[in-house]
Amino acid sequence: MIELKGVRKRYRGRYVLNGLSFTAEKGNITCLIGMNGAGKSTVMKAIMGLVPVKEGQILVDGKPRGRWMYEKISFVPDHLTMPLSMKMSEGLTFMADFYASWNAERAAELMRFFRLEPGEKIGNLSKGTAAKYNLVLGLAPNSDYVLMDEPFSGIDLFSREMIADVFSSELIEERGVLLTTHEIGEVEHLIDKAVILQNGKAEMEFDCETMRSEEGKSIVDVMREVYSR
Amino acid sequence: MEIHRFRYILFALMGLTALVQMCAIAFNAMGEINERNVYFEQTGRAPEEFFAAMSYTRAVQETQFWFAVPVGLSIAVLVIYAFLIWYRDWFGRGTFAYRLLSLPSERRNIYFAKLTAILTFVFVLVGFQLLLMPIGRAIFAMIAPADQLQPSYIADAIFANQVFKILLPRSFAEFFVNYGLGIISLLVLFASILLERSYRWLGIVYGLAYAGFCALLMVYPLLALGLNYSTGYFYTEEAYAIQMAIDGLIVVASVWLGLYLLKKKVSV
Amino acid sequence: MRTGGGWEEVEFNSREPVYLQVVRHFKEMIVAGKLEAGQVIPSRRELGTLLKINPNTAQRSYKEMEERKLIVTEGNSPSRITQDDAVLRAIRAELLGEAVDAFVSAVRKVDVPVEELLDLVKSKYIEALSSSPADIAAEGGAERP
Repeated sequence: MIELKGVRKRYRGRYVLNGLSFTAEKGNITCLIGMNGAGKSTVMKAIMGLVPVKEGQILVDGKPRGRWMYEKISFVPDHLTMPLSMKMSEGLTFMADFYASWNAERAAELMRFFRLEPGEKIGNLSKGTAAKYNLVLGLAPNSDYVLMDEPFSGIDLFSREMIADVFSSELIEERGVLLTTHEIGEVEHLIDKAVILQNGKAEMEFDCETMRSEEGKSIVDVMREVYSR
Repeated sequence: MEIHRFRYILFALMGLTALVQMCAIAFNAMGEINERNVYFEQTGRAPEEFFAAMSYTRAVQETQFWFAVPVGLSIAVLVIYAFLIWYRDWFGRGTFAYRLLSLPSERRNIYFAKLTAILTFVFVLVGFQLLLMPIGRAIFAMIAPADQLQPSYIADAIFANQVFKILLPRSFAEFFVNYGLGIISLLVLFASILLERSYRWLGIVYGLAYAGFCALLMVYPLLALGLNYSTGYFYTEEAYAIQMAIDGLIVVASVWLGLYLLKKKVSV
Repeated sequence: MRTGGGWEEVEFNSREPVYLQVVRHFKEMIVAGKLEAGQVIPSRRELGTLLKINPNTAQRSYKEMEERKLIVTEGNSPSRITQDDAVLRAIRAELLGEAVDAFVSAVRKVDVPVEELLDLVKSKYIEALSSSPADIAAEGGAERP
């Protein structure tokens, strides 16, 4: 379980995260929802240690986050994070070199699933292809948790459908997924838990099916309520 | 991997240096031969009477400027790359920093990889330059007529060039001092860059302040304690020791600061 | 019997629990004859991929169906649709009842005598059945009233 407790983070003077607390359990798909600039990407970066956090705690499986967890948590960022002159196959080798949890077979399978050409240079990829490659890099390792930052943004419809398929496949099974997205429509029925981020806090944290059965509300309904307060 | 990324530029610099310097030597030799011929034609006398024997050493001295150009260029490129080696991972379409900073290996490895890369480039270029000297002499010998040629020692040839006096010094002590200074500057630079990457705008201020402070510390013994004149308060050896101690302190502090920032404070 | 068909994507409504919608989908398929009594159904994982839902949701829906005795799992073998006639009839009755309720409440707004209504229903129904013969042939087991 990934747990945030009272996390505060300042950025350019203002508190982007102001006492944020929520959990993302293993085996569940949790979605962080928030308006632009609400701090969703910051949360991801904070969990991954790409951004220092002075106040609050970030715990993974009960232990404070640290270098030890990099084999267990994969990150799929919203843009390319590999040298542009590298070929996709070289990128895979790079990951294999550094990560003990790298699963080369799954990587190859994913490359086929997404129909990616291993010999192509990363700098030449279109946005959709780049996003798929990022997914390969993030899903191939045998990690317990996968963090995805805006996996759908700026991507064509068919690529989006392909990516959404990942969520219902065995690639996700038993892993804990934490994602952020604007495209709630694509994933509304796939998410187990939603966390609505507003004013740097988790305004609401709920199980989606429970919300549907007890209050007959969809995630979008709840979002509307929260933002109109 | 860091070296791999730079290889094209490195080869280009090496190629350029070789080209410029060797051409300079060749032109110089041919020019001299030309002069002699002209003299002969004009006066009918043997050139040896007027001209001293052709020597590589003198050729090097005469072509100093041309020799210095590619060297200066290489230095400039390396200085720029000392910055770029960090910044290219943060800026641009593929922010490799995200990947690097979430690798399971220690972050200090990133620091040392970049440091050793730059040092490797420096020493490769220096070594290459040294290699070029005897090659240049061979080329010179091929162009100049045998009877006019005076043998030269490479060491003399090197010494004839002002730039080389600094970059390819004769004594180990000088080497240590010159390159040591360069390495310390590099370490301070790395620390400043990491300060900026950790604290952004404020980081630039911190970085400049840190660099300035280190610079002051370095020259303090020289200026205040009279390292350069013997009537100062301290014995020369003591002053040297103080200088060394300060240098050592700066090295340790800069490396420690760089590593600390990279591990705990740096942001994407 | 179409094994591939019926497992295409279902349009899910976001306001109702997805797992219940899956259960209803199963019921509809049983009643329509696309799923026969005792037929083997896909595993939880497979269902997730087929319907494009979260594997947890598939899990939940199976649990619900087991509790309602819609499906039976013996030991380690794959789950099957129940062969219990009572259950099957109850499902049919349930769905029919729901459809009729919906129809009745929609049609109550129109003031019409029952005989006229029944005649209309009969003719409309026959019309609907005859205009899609391909479906009937393929189903090969659809019940007609």
